[in-house]
Amino acid sequence: MDILNPYNLQVFTFILLNSILAISIYITLSTGQLSLGHAGFMSIGAFTASILSKQADMPMFIAIIIGGLAAGIVALLIGAPTLKLHGLYLAIATLGFGEVIRVILLNMKITNGALGLTGLQSIGNYLYDFEKAMGLKAQSLGISVIQMKSLTTFVFMLLLFAVVLFLTLRLNRSRLGRAFEAIKADETAARAMGLQVAYYKMLAFIIGSVLAGVCGGLYAHITTTITPDDFNYHKVVEILSYAVIGGSEVVWGPLFGALVLTALPEVLRGLAEYKMLMYGLIMVGVMAFRPHGLIGTDTFQKLFRRRKGKPGNEAKEGM
Amino acid sequence: MFWQQLVNGLTVGSTYSLIALGYTLIFGVLGIINMAHGQIFIFGSLVGLVLMTSMQMPLGVALVASIVISAILGLILEYAALRPLRKKNVPHLASLISTIGFAILVEEAMHKIFGADSRAFPQSFGDKTFDLGIIQVRSVDLIILGISLILMFVLHFWIQKTKMGKAIRATAENADTANILGINTNMVIIVTVMLASALGGVAGILIGMAYSALIPTMGMTLGFKGLAVLILGGVGSIPGAMVCGVLLGVIEVFTVAYGDSSYRDAVAFGLIIIILLLKPEGLFGRKA
Repeated sequence: MDILNPYNLQVFTFILLNSILAISIYITLSTGQLSLGHAGFMSIGAFTASILSKQADMPMFIAIIIGGLAAGIVALLIGAPTLKLHGLYLAIATLGFGEVIRVILLNMKITNGALGLTGLQSIGNYLYDFEKAMGLKAQSLGISVIQMKSLTTFVFMLLLFAVVLFLTLRLNRSRLGRAFEAIKADETAARAMGLQVAYYKMLAFIIGSVLAGVCGGLYAHITTTITPDDFNYHKVVEILSYAVIGGSEVVWGPLFGALVLTALPEVLRGLAEYKMLMYGLIMVGVMAFRPHGLIGTDTFQKLFRRRKGKPGNEAKEGM
Repeated sequence: MFWQQLVNGLTVGSTYSLIALGYTLIFGVLGIINMAHGQIFIFGSLVGLVLMTSMQMPLGVALVASIVISAILGLILEYAALRPLRKKNVPHLASLISTIGFAILVEEAMHKIFGADSRAFPQSFGDKTFDLGIIQVRSVDLIILGISLILMFVLHFWIQKTKMGKAIRATAENADTANILGINTNMVIIVTVMLASALGGVAGILIGMAYSALIPTMGMTLGFKGLAVLILGGVGSIPGAMVCGVLLGVIEVFTVAYGDSSYRDAVAFGLIIIILLLKPEGLFGRKA
């Protein structure tokens, strides 16, 4: 039962959390907008949710959802003027926004400044109370309470991730997803075709931000401790690198990036000291050899073509 | 008080200008934002500072050393992170990411070599004070202002008048055409990246003098400020970078003096957000 030890489960939980984050940046990127403000939206979600659940005694999941919505509202306010900006301007403006948010959080009373908030409810505890009420106890499954709590958190995140992924895949195939794709491919052409470019870009930006805010709330209630510095520039780089190293053309790219970049430092535990060094090397290396990311639109096509191609060849030989 | 703060602001601001010039030059020629700029020049400056403190070298030697080291790092950046992305048709995001990756590498190297502590700048020079009636100027302020102003003007004339400067401007205008017309654009790009990094190296040493200490993590903070100045002044505009660097320095110092010092690092980005809303092309930028 080694796989069920709380440490491993924690790692798997974080892989899932980071995967949702990766989807959030993927959705924003899918209209061709580069946002470096996702850590900022995450921190808004995290702090809103924590303050609501801790100080206002709100049920945790409602607090997390409100945290996500708060991030969305801020995204709406910041997005309205900034989305007129293109490419690098948007990137720097959102980066600046993230930094401003961080400095504000560092100076507010209610966020407890640089020390941040501690002693938050954990998702594991919260759900375990439900499970106990329903008569499902750790002893009856033959595992310890801590294992049970970690497992519960993991299963919850797995379900949530599955829902988010399903919705994202649906989104990609919907009218909305095609509009996003059109805007990414050529904004001017999309506008000429009668698409409300500003509306769709805004929508993608807000969806991404709400997801990031929810991730912030989840993060706060998984780790039970948050400080403004959890959401600094390094977090921005981390989130961005999922999408860019994995590839941002199809949703599997960012997910692959999140999986590899979260798991790698844990697998290579002995080299943990060199985690950032590896990040840097991977980023430079991948960009030099595969600037579109490791997984592109062609990756799966190639795989499937090969599979489909074989029977065809055999048929020819048979003739 | 007011005039005194103004002088302080000008001093700090002139170093921001030098940093922003590094970004502007690279953006002008290559069309990318070099996210590793801050780390590169702080690395160079730390080498200079170590030479000064542990080997008792004079300021001039330290300055030259930090210029050389920064320029070499710039060269490595060009070969490792920029050149491979120039050949293929790559998304403009890629260069941003690879420079961020390079920044992480330099930052980690800095931590391994110099440790994370701040390093004090020797106080032996520049502690003389000149009393000019309403203000008192330390000679270190004069050195900082003098060096940065001289560098800015030299750079301005170098770019306007010399052959290399013209080549840089031509490449910035249109690299393909410049190449066809016989300009070795690869050479121009190498010169630009090294020049930008070297300017940063000088700025790093001057900032060390102004704050009387250097911290490895300063690379990121100062890099962000340079970036803010780049946007404020209008991306790619050299006069914009010069003027807005000084402007940012003055505004920052006044924020600390008359407002809340804890918001110091938010000033730069607060300004960016405001300027992007009102005048997205920057104060000195051309309408795109």
